[in-house]
Amino acid sequence: MEIDKDNANPTILNPSDLPSRRREPLAKQRDDGGSGLFDHLVPAYNYLNDPFDGPASSGDSDDGSVEDIDEQEIYDLISSISDPEHPLSLGSLAVVNLPDIFIQPPTSPRSAISTVLVEITPTITHCSLATVIGLGVRVRLEQALPPRFRVDVRIKKGTHSTDDAVNKQLGDKERVAAALENGTLMGVIRKMLSTCE
Amino acid sequence: MSDIQQYLLDYDKNKRGAAATAQQTATRLEKRELKLLDLVQELGEYFNSEDGAVRSKTMAYLAEVLALVPQKVLSLQQRNLLCDFTLSRLEDSEGLGSCAKALTALEERGKWDHERVQKIVETLLHNSHPLRQYKQQSERYPVLRFIDTLMAKYRDALRAMHDDKPDFLSYFIAYFDGEKDPRNLMVVFSILRVPMIEWNIGANAQELFDAVFNYFPITFRPPPDDPYGITAQDLKDRLRDCISSTSDFAPYAFPALLDKLDSTSMNTKRDVLQAITASVAEYGPRTIALYSITLWDALKFEILNVQEEDLAKDALKGLAAIAKTLSKGTTGPLNSYLRPITKECNEHFEDAPTKQSQASARILNTISSISAEVTNIILAGVLPTIFTLFQTAETMAKRRGLLEVVVPLIHADIEVFGDWKSVGTAGPHPAANALVQFKDQALEIMSNGLTNAPPKEVSFRLACLGGLLQLSKARELLSDKEIGNIIQQFHAIVIHEESHGKDEVKDAAINALVEIAHQKPQVVIEKAFPAFMAQLPDTDTDGQTGYLPVLEAFAKLGGEEKVFSTVILRLKNKFSSAVQQNASSAYVVALLSALLYALNQGSEQLEQNPESSSYYQDIVLPIIKRTSSSDDSRPKAFDEESTLDLVGRICNIIIRPLSVEQQNQISVELYTLFSGTPQNELSPIKTDAIEKSKTMVVSTHLLASLRKDAILPCEVNLLISSVVAFSQQPALSLPVRSASLRQISLLLNKFVPASSLKTIMDPLLNSPIDLFNLDKLDPFRIRIIFACLKALLLRNSPSLSTLYPKLLAFLSHPKYGKTVAHGFTTLLQPDDLLTKANHCLINGLHKQKSFALLVPNITTSFREATPETKPNYLIALSGVLKWMPFDIVVEEVGLLVPLLLQSLDLQGEEAVKEAAITTLMSILGERPDAVKEHAGSLISRLLNTSTVDIKKAGEVGKSAEGSGGVAAPPRVRGLALKCLALVPEKLKQEVVLPYRRQVVKRLTGALDDRKREVRFCAVRCRARWLEVDEVGDED
Repeated sequence: MEIDKDNANPTILNPSDLPSRRREPLAKQRDDGGSGLFDHLVPAYNYLNDPFDGPASSGDSDDGSVEDIDEQEIYDLISSISDPEHPLSLGSLAVVNLPDIFIQPPTSPRSAISTVLVEITPTITHCSLATVIGLGVRVRLEQALPPRFRVDVRIKKGTHSTDDAVNKQLGDKERVAAALENGTLMGVIRKMLSTCE
Repeated sequence: MSDIQQYLLDYDKNKRGAAATAQQTATRLEKRELKLLDLVQELGEYFNSEDGAVRSKTMAYLAEVLALVPQKVLSLQQRNLLCDFTLSRLEDSEGLGSCAKALTALEERGKWDHERVQKIVETLLHNSHPLRQYKQQSERYPVLRFIDTLMAKYRDALRAMHDDKPDFLSYFIAYFDGEKDPRNLMVVFSILRVPMIEWNIGANAQELFDAVFNYFPITFRPPPDDPYGITAQDLKDRLRDCISSTSDFAPYAFPALLDKLDSTSMNTKRDVLQAITASVAEYGPRTIALYSITLWDALKFEILNVQEEDLAKDALKGLAAIAKTLSKGTTGPLNSYLRPITKECNEHFEDAPTKQSQASARILNTISSISAEVTNIILAGVLPTIFTLFQTAETMAKRRGLLEVVVPLIHADIEVFGDWKSVGTAGPHPAANALVQFKDQALEIMSNGLTNAPPKEVSFRLACLGGLLQLSKARELLSDKEIGNIIQQFHAIVIHEESHGKDEVKDAAINALVEIAHQKPQVVIEKAFPAFMAQLPDTDTDGQTGYLPVLEAFAKLGGEEKVFSTVILRLKNKFSSAVQQNASSAYVVALLSALLYALNQGSEQLEQNPESSSYYQDIVLPIIKRTSSSDDSRPKAFDEESTLDLVGRICNIIIRPLSVEQQNQISVELYTLFSGTPQNELSPIKTDAIEKSKTMVVSTHLLASLRKDAILPCEVNLLISSVVAFSQQPALSLPVRSASLRQISLLLNKFVPASSLKTIMDPLLNSPIDLFNLDKLDPFRIRIIFACLKALLLRNSPSLSTLYPKLLAFLSHPKYGKTVAHGFTTLLQPDDLLTKANHCLINGLHKQKSFALLVPNITTSFREATPETKPNYLIALSGVLKWMPFDIVVEEVGLLVPLLLQSLDLQGEEAVKEAAITTLMSILGERPDAVKEHAGSLISRLLNTSTVDIKKAGEVGKSAEGSGGVAAPPRVRGLALKCLALVPEKLKQEVVLPYRRQVVKRLTGALDDRKREVRFCAVRCRARWLEVDEVGDED
């Protein structure tokens, strides 16, 4: 192949082994231990529902409970990004891992700013695309998280030969902004993000 | 003026006139008014003109006349003369195309002999070689068509020319050199394919190959208005047919194709791979044996380092085609082809699971399903290595990677050798299956893996489970005892294992049991059923609750027809003993649910042979008697309407396929339910018998199951008026009322023939009941109106055109307008009782009719309505649209959009908003232009619906409702975001671009929504909008 890939043959994780949220509605731990197979025996719009007594939508009352943004949600946001070299997701290549995502709450009670720290693990230590991947993760999170989050993306210590240099690049706001002005680079990143759902 | 003069005059400016002149000449020839000789003589002067254009037009005239002369007007002698004359005209460089047309016309009017054909070809080639000297496509095209005709009709004559003159073919090939027009090329490819396939081309092979391969790859792109009607694909297909036409091309084709495989253009690579696959299939085993390894070395690259998925697929097809072709030959070449493949794949497996080990698995899997021989060679080539690697593997991930290679191989093996129920592609008596030698080892590895690996190794265990399932399916591979052991492992997982994660392993184990039940029903019944039954208690009075997962799994097994009846029988027995031993209501309900689930899955079987089963005697009768009895045989759970609903559904599914005679046994007991109590002491005949009215729920289902001609327990009009009266009692419970209303619908729909519909409806519409009387209107009567209309609209009754307007008039009712409005959603809502399966009258066009009668009326009335009643119309509209297929709605889209947008402003009508957004999404998808002018108003309304002002909601807390900013529920917020995400996708960029900044900014609010599901939608939506200004520079 004309493109010399840094790592032509990476190890791949199986989707079943990737961390995922237990399907929420079921995770409410049904007391009976069932999977809800019989819940749909009677169609939702059957004759026992009476539409005349006003709107029935008040049944949606669990709006009250707040579901906070957590590490798993951050993981779900970025694990589906494609690797720039392979048509595989960063999650299945173990470039992003759930234990390497940290949400730091606001430092003082008066501040509303939380910080998301993501440490990425390149597939090999001399991966030249580590910066691009880091940038991709950063762009994705900045697009997908509310402004009260500050995003910090780094290369995990010891997983890359020049991790300090790359981290400096990723942490430097001006350099990041300049990189995002670069059409070719944005093209690559857009392609990486195109697999995100 | 003579015809030729007229023709020449008209030729350039009046084509039709010229054609008419030619037709006139032809008619004169036919009527013998004109002699051929005179015609030719008359032309002489013009053929000798100094002006080349005149000579050319004259030839055109002659050709046109000849083509118009009817068959048999010209004698053989005349035709021969004309032929010679035309050939002599070939010496003139003008009018070549017309000469070819004239010759074509002559040929159509009488077959030629060999000598003449050969002479014509010789003269034609001699005078016009090479064809490219004629610059006009329209000159060359008739010549090519003519040669193509000769090729088709006089193969032997042309072939003899090749056999007689060694240099003919070369001269012939060179004739077409340099052709560039796609229309002409189509013909050239078709001409040359004949010598390729049929002639002995020996020395000219390369020349012939180059003549077509020069055009590879086809990069032609039809011009925008495409005057030719020829696509690049047409050319590609013909060219590929040429390349693959003869194995003589192999020495030139493969090197040339492989050379082009290095191209950077994906299209070229795609063409190369398809040409290789086609050639491999045609060239035959002896030729392919010489190139198989070279091809493998080139093709594997496309799979191991996937660039584009479809290229990898094409390459896999190529590899499979090689194996297929070689399978037709001797064993030697096949072996030498497969050896390097298995060797290389084995090497990749050493560091599984990697991208390349997965790719290797794909390769082996694709190739091995080709034939029994190939499967056996591959299994013997890789399984020993994989098993050794498995034993020495250090990580679970590696073991999983290795198993993921083995499982598809077993699957491919089954494709070839068949499963227990069907023979494979290798036929009923295939060679010995090599898998037999490895089955013990495979069984051991996978069984151990499944049983011993910790539950968190989900993918590893799934791989083991999948492998065991495949092994158990493979035809005549395992003994019943071995399969029994596998079954035991699976049901142990289902029954005993703790729940873990998404329970993928448990789900897979149940599904695997169902699959095995299809292959080996008896073994499953013997092995798994007792285990399941042992886990289901007769009673749960000791507080046992773990039964539900087991029950679910067992009910699922009912989906396999081979074990269906056994599942039903066991569940029924369990139910009886549970009732006898006073089990809790929860357990009784669970057992009934399982029974209904299993029956639903087997309903097709019941439909097909309703008489064969004894379910009516065994299940329906006993359970109905329990329902109506007042002693211990009636479980406490039967006090709940929802339980009775289950009972009703179970009875319904069994009764509805029965014959009328059988149904009549139960229809007379519709309300008495075999209780022995006289009917007129029971609801609904005795209207105030409320305390024992719960069984109405069961009666409704029984009524639904009856055929049209079943005998009802009393006159239908009496029954209807009783139920109408009964359903109006304020003390009824909600389910019983709804059930009674459904009975009205069922009776009116099924049991009233069209002829007596008017008579039966009369007491309802007029006195005594007088349903549409404005003064008597109340919620109960509104319900009855809708129940009646539901019955009528499904049978498309003509009365709708008078009844709908009356109903619509109620929308402006100050007190009950809103209640009526909410009723509209019931009209077209899918119904589980009024169905074809329940023998109801369902007209295929009922939705169209209701739409036509309701929607235009609503939109007009809306405009005239007072502000207070306007919402009622919007609510009614959304209720109608909610269930309307979009291809009906599409007619009125322009009228509807403004109303739908206003629906989004309604306060507290979330269901209406939801329906409006759903319809808007369909409109965006199918008719985006209808929304274009409303883009701004749509976008801002969707934003308002989807974003909650967090701060406000947080500070004011629950009193937020008071401030007027009530948030839509999460589902509606999410839906609004999905709709908003469609906007930039479906509308043109210049329409949405002005809103981009605003949308992107306001969506940050939705990114912080309290619900995860909504945030997920917001992220997607925002990503779509962020792309808006970037779309332009993608190309």
